[in-house]
Amino acid sequence: MNKSAARFPAHVLSVLIPVLVMVLTSPKSEAIPAFSRQYHTSCQTCHIAFPKLNDFGKAFKDAGFKFPKDDETFLKVPAVMLGAPAQKDVFPRSVWPGEIPGLPPIGLRMNMFFQATGAKRNQFNVLSAPAAPQFIPATDFETGLFSIFTAGNFGGDIAFWVDDDISVSGQNASGGLGDAYMRFGNIGRFAKLPTDTLNLRVGQFELDLPFTQARTYNLSPYDIYSEANIGAVNAMGAQQNVANQFAFAGAAKGIELSGGHNYGGYHYSVAMFNQNTSGVSQASNSSRYLPSATGGSSGGIGFGSDSSTKDIYARLSYRFNLERDPASRSAIQAAGTTGPHDHTYLNVGSFYLRGNSRQALPGVTLAGGNTLLVAHEPFYRAGGDFSFNIRALNVLGLYMYGRDKNLLPVDSSGNPIPLPFGSTSPLPTSFISSFPAVFHGGFVEADYMILPWIFAIARWDGVHSSADRINALALSPGFPYFGATQSARNRFTPGVQFLIHPNVKASFEYQIRPRQSVTSAVDPVTGLQKLQNPFRVNTALFGLEFVY
Amino acid sequence: MTKTRKFLIATSAALFVSAASYAATLSGTVAGGHGAAAVYIDAIPGKTFPAPAKGPVVDQKSLLFQPHVVVVQQGTTVEFLNSDTVAHNIFWPSISGNKKMSHNLGTWPKGEKRPFKFDTAGVVPLLCNVHPEMSAFVVVSPTPYFAEADASGAYKIENIPAGSYTLVSWREGGRPTSKPVTVGGGATAVAKLSK
Repeated sequence: MNKSAARFPAHVLSVLIPVLVMVLTSPKSEAIPAFSRQYHTSCQTCHIAFPKLNDFGKAFKDAGFKFPKDDETFLKVPAVMLGAPAQKDVFPRSVWPGEIPGLPPIGLRMNMFFQATGAKRNQFNVLSAPAAPQFIPATDFETGLFSIFTAGNFGGDIAFWVDDDISVSGQNASGGLGDAYMRFGNIGRFAKLPTDTLNLRVGQFELDLPFTQARTYNLSPYDIYSEANIGAVNAMGAQQNVANQFAFAGAAKGIELSGGHNYGGYHYSVAMFNQNTSGVSQASNSSRYLPSATGGSSGGIGFGSDSSTKDIYARLSYRFNLERDPASRSAIQAAGTTGPHDHTYLNVGSFYLRGNSRQALPGVTLAGGNTLLVAHEPFYRAGGDFSFNIRALNVLGLYMYGRDKNLLPVDSSGNPIPLPFGSTSPLPTSFISSFPAVFHGGFVEADYMILPWIFAIARWDGVHSSADRINALALSPGFPYFGATQSARNRFTPGVQFLIHPNVKASFEYQIRPRQSVTSAVDPVTGLQKLQNPFRVNTALFGLEFVY
Repeated sequence: MTKTRKFLIATSAALFVSAASYAATLSGTVAGGHGAAAVYIDAIPGKTFPAPAKGPVVDQKSLLFQPHVVVVQQGTTVEFLNSDTVAHNIFWPSISGNKKMSHNLGTWPKGEKRPFKFDTAGVVPLLCNVHPEMSAFVVVSPTPYFAEADASGAYKIENIPAGSYTLVSWREGGRPTSKPVTVGGGATAVAKLSK
């Protein structure tokens, strides 16, 4: 261990981003014990190693958190009727009857972590002197998330979901709302569309990602989902004036139309949601001069959007069930000689997101007057995914390409203004298009259920980003994995998980983290840039969590 | 689980038996514990009994085995029905703890039955590998002299010929216990089963 670590010139952000934040912001992984109570059934009815859903769990979710058929016959806690069914005959002279779960469908979850970090942990790629000495411990215990979640349905195909982190890493103020939405299933029946072809979801929700981040079974998040396109503002490379905080890992506020099934056949979704590329919080965007939902003269709940335009996300997938037995091919689960199991299947899909990143800069008009210049930089994310399952083995992967239009500020002569702005920089008068800020990458993952309580996982993450590389060249502490000779970060993460009980899981990940270097130099033989003493800060991460 | 099992084994030791003469009725109570219970006369050396032509049906309905306990004579064919709209499986990991007797009946859709002939006496724990919470028992008696206890633990075995036998009791969560009993002569005997 480096005894001088406490005096090592390191910046805390370089530590938090690659290592510790991964622990503290580990994905939610909720199973729903509330449903176990309602139906008196095991977690494994819907989950493989919670929170990963099996085919029946996907069907349960698709149906609006209820059994796809004859739900009432499986409920052990009868629902409370909010109006007799016969009230429907009186409608519209009565409120349409509904129901609520017989017991409040509430689940709680807690997790905790232990982390051991490699010996190179204090050599990360930051050359600028930190404000205060920083230190990365070799080992660390951390509390994780204490979360509450509730989900169910109100009858009539109206489902709901709310989850909230009450505390994060022991800090009550660090928690926040995760997903909170209502889902109106089968609204297509009003247009005489076939069952399950049109559903509506309203609220705050994770986009219909090919593989969930919010409810992943991994300890650490998918790197590509966390990738925000933050363009460089330095002279080390092609200048980029992009500051798009959007990342797939964040929740969206809006509406979504969807249809089909996740356990077989087609599935689609189209969501329209608030643009929030600046990362501004809802509270910080309130105004006492504007009406709001909770408003009045003292201000209201605020508005999280950056502009009036909305982002669009669409996903389309098709799952080929490859069971040999035609009878079970169309069933929710395949019938095998030893019992029902997930189908052998191949799921292929694609996704596309379109938005506008808004940037406002103080500028001048050509006449010399002060003004606020606003750049609307269209961006998109597009990609494809697959998932192949055969018995206890699931192999999945995703590729994504991201592109942001890059508008550079220009002066009154039409010349680009060197970035970042300095005290002598002229005020911009307009923008011109330049090279776009792009990134691409994805992940490939395989999991195998060795026994019903032992689950092996191996995952590779890769991200290639032109913007991150240029930022790293400027020695920005937030981009320690990029540099003069590399524009990618790759991570390999083998792991294993154990169900100690159906609701208690111990997880382990060994993260072979991206290669870094403190310095690079010109190779005298080849004349190319070459890393000097490259290293990896590998991390062993243990997690323990329970839901009840 | 272990504590529960020990508790049930210990408390099920008290079994009261009354005996009558030929074709007597044996009745009593399986004391202790709260689970389902069954009693039967163990195998009688030199005697065999024809199996009944028709056996009971065990249903899988609302994620439950119904009934939870069924007692049958050795050689009886039990039919297993799936009445649910979800897939079910039936298997048992052992018979009376003998794991070599494990068996998997497989899976079948709603409305269909699958028969199985129980040729080995003992307690068969039924499980579903899709819904781990589902559980039931088939208690296979080697003789036609058996009964399932009611909720209070009371049981009654009728038409037992006079003689000396081994009475076996079983309660969910415990292991079978046995005790010699003598039936006949019109006298009433009280027997206590110990583990």
